[in-house]
Amino acid sequence: MARSWGRRVLCTVATLSVVAGLAFAADTPRPGGVLLAVIGADPPSLDPHQESTFATLQLVAPLYSTLVQTDPYAYPKIIGDAASEWKISADALTYTFKIRPGIRFHDGSPLTAVDVKATYDKLIFPPAGTRSVRKSTYSVVASIDAPDPSTVVFKLKHPSASLLGNFASPWNVIYPKKYLDKDPNYFMKNVVGSGPFKFKSYTPGATFEGERNPDYFVKDRPYLNGYKFFISTETSVRAAAIRSGRAYIEFRDLPNADVEAIKKQLGDKVVVQQTPMTGQVGIAINNTVKPFTDVRVRKALTLGLDRYTGGRVLFGITGLRDVGGLLRPSTEFAMAEADLQELPGFGKDPAKNRAEAKRLLAEAGFPNGFKVVLKNRNIRLPYQDFAVFAIQEWRKIGIEAEHRPLETAAWFSDGRDTGNFELIVAPTVEASDDPDVFLERYTTGDANNWGRFSDPAIDDLFSRQSRALDPAERKRTILQLQRRVLENAYYMPGLWWSRSVVHWAKVKNYVAPPNHYANQKLQDVWLSED
Amino acid sequence: MGTYLAKRLLLIVPTLIGAAALVFVIMRVIPGDVALLIFGGDTAGQIDAKQLADMRHRLGLDQPLVAQFGTWLWGVLRFDFGTSLWTGRPVIEELLVRLPLSLELALAATLVSVVIAIPFGMLAAVRQDTWIDYVIRVISIGGLAIPSFWVGILCILFLVIWFGWGPPLEFTPPWVDPWANFQQMVWPVVTVGYRYAAVTTRMTRSTLLEVLREDYIRTAWAKGQREWAIVFRHGLKNAMLPVITLIGTEFAFLIGGLVVTETVFTLNGVGRFVVDAVAHRDYPVVQALVFLIAFGFVIVNLLVDLTYAWFDPRIRYR
Repeated sequence: MARSWGRRVLCTVATLSVVAGLAFAADTPRPGGVLLAVIGADPPSLDPHQESTFATLQLVAPLYSTLVQTDPYAYPKIIGDAASEWKISADALTYTFKIRPGIRFHDGSPLTAVDVKATYDKLIFPPAGTRSVRKSTYSVVASIDAPDPSTVVFKLKHPSASLLGNFASPWNVIYPKKYLDKDPNYFMKNVVGSGPFKFKSYTPGATFEGERNPDYFVKDRPYLNGYKFFISTETSVRAAAIRSGRAYIEFRDLPNADVEAIKKQLGDKVVVQQTPMTGQVGIAINNTVKPFTDVRVRKALTLGLDRYTGGRVLFGITGLRDVGGLLRPSTEFAMAEADLQELPGFGKDPAKNRAEAKRLLAEAGFPNGFKVVLKNRNIRLPYQDFAVFAIQEWRKIGIEAEHRPLETAAWFSDGRDTGNFELIVAPTVEASDDPDVFLERYTTGDANNWGRFSDPAIDDLFSRQSRALDPAERKRTILQLQRRVLENAYYMPGLWWSRSVVHWAKVKNYVAPPNHYANQKLQDVWLSED
Repeated sequence: MGTYLAKRLLLIVPTLIGAAALVFVIMRVIPGDVALLIFGGDTAGQIDAKQLADMRHRLGLDQPLVAQFGTWLWGVLRFDFGTSLWTGRPVIEELLVRLPLSLELALAATLVSVVIAIPFGMLAAVRQDTWIDYVIRVISIGGLAIPSFWVGILCILFLVIWFGWGPPLEFTPPWVDPWANFQQMVWPVVTVGYRYAAVTTRMTRSTLLEVLREDYIRTAWAKGQREWAIVFRHGLKNAMLPVITLIGTEFAFLIGGLVVTETVFTLNGVGRFVVDAVAHRDYPVVQALVFLIAFGFVIVNLLVDLTYAWFDPRIRYR
């Protein structure tokens, strides 16, 4: 009998130990495994400096380091990456960064201040033949120096309220200088980074793979042996890939209907992270072609969109929901709802808006409306659903829009590069809520000013808000700028996005930030099982 | 026969040169400057004229059109189709990654189609206006009416919802892992094969019906021959010519024309490659692919023509 009790106690202790061990194991990062993900587009190039699509950044972000970064667990707090510390001078005109020692690029060469300087020179003062879509974000920078291998100094023309946040942009990946010297476009087709993963393979239209970098400068990271993206433009295919376990995560977004179906089928095997997005989907109007040179026509277009109904209709299938101006609703610099409702297209009475739109069209010489081509990206979520909604809304004021979806590269080429469009679906999605990055696209000649308009008053307001260190003064200027853009209907904001990131529960330590650009390095992500 | 074959083989040369010239001219007539596109298509004045001129020189675009065509053709003769502007890799390498997949899909779908369509088409013809004929007609009309990509999506959803299983997202060649290859290819093959079989079934049925009304068939019945002998020996063989033509044309189309099916099943095949290349304005790739697809069509047509004699001994090749 005593022996039997002894056995029972031993068994119980052993069982408890195993259970406790398993519980501990579940919380302790487990090295190994390959993270399988699906992505909805093929990248136009591999150079994040020259691109503004998740299709580029999500694939290559794990391969690179940035100077500083947004804290993966506490948006929008800024923490170091290649820089271990930084100092801003009392007059806010000098930023000094100390580069962490021991960082090596994947070709074995050390990452030094010289590489950081070369990277930011390329971003801010792009050499001829190279595009930098964010150079105006850093127009405040007068010069960059690397006085020694571990120090980078940025001298500013004037103080900037946004600069540190902009340095944390995930797009500003650090390149080795020697390759930039040979060819400033080298990284459009090649990858040499210093991130937690090394480039393994890329088959355009099919897969992109990275493998663990054993020499990564953060000790014992990354946990994963690698990651692999499967590229599919079909939303239903990506959702099915998650449901079947062929992929563990879709980092961007899936329609709520698919998310619900996945949850229903897989239960607690999956986790859904819902976040508001630092982005909205709207329409760029080519201000250089008739009839859109006429402000009455542009106003009629924006008046023709019933955004409030759109939010109700589109949320379930796209995640597009909130009506807002040029900055995310309810954030520090966003317009108040009451102020917004005074602007064309934001009033809550759609019948009144449409009557006004028809009046303006008649006044502009189009009493029976007109025909127009609305170009778009060939990605359903949320681009195409949004366009379908806009088209049927415009039909109510007599405007017949033909929907023309394009491949990502052609969409960028027509919208951003050549201006070969009348109307084009052009979202504004950024890696933070910072006003500089959101509003620079409304300034003259900015690479992201797809509408190609030029208004000196906007340029002035942008410049003033950017250098205003007093938040109240900055807010006043920002509100004026937003009002100016929306009153003149230079650009048509649509609806602000919220996203549902669904992933298998075995994917640990990934916190979905409010955009699909930040927190893509995957250095802390691990898999609890293969 | 030998003379005919030699003539047909020789005819391939001007046909292909004609196709190549046509593609070459079209690619240069459509709007878009390759050199500008390589620089990111930026026309905002960031690119200096010298760089642009250097790039045009490097690509040979500053040469007269005839010289450019000659250079390209000389490259083709040496199996050098140039380098992809998009990936920077030789076009032939890019193609070799994708061609096995497209060939496997086309061959397997053709096999499925032939195995299903000929017996069912024959059965429908022989049992015309019976319930068997009606069922076969309904199924085949369904195959024609329902788009393949939709059948594909239904297949995937059915598998995922009922079995929690989906086909692999990446192509594994059959010689590397036959089971993985089978798991991925079986569904696109079924999807494409269904439409293909539907077309072929309809064609087999209608041509066989026509043949079965011929005088020589009536004579065979009158002589008291068995039904299977009449249908197989006298009917089917004579009804096969249009069916063979259809199978050949469809097979050639399948190699480069399955863009949507390839998208649904995440297959990195030639069809998607062509569309992506057009979207990326990757001219060397478009030129090479159109040329090679034209070559495929010519060869398949030749093979189809050669099989005619086996089915119909009256055909003489001159």
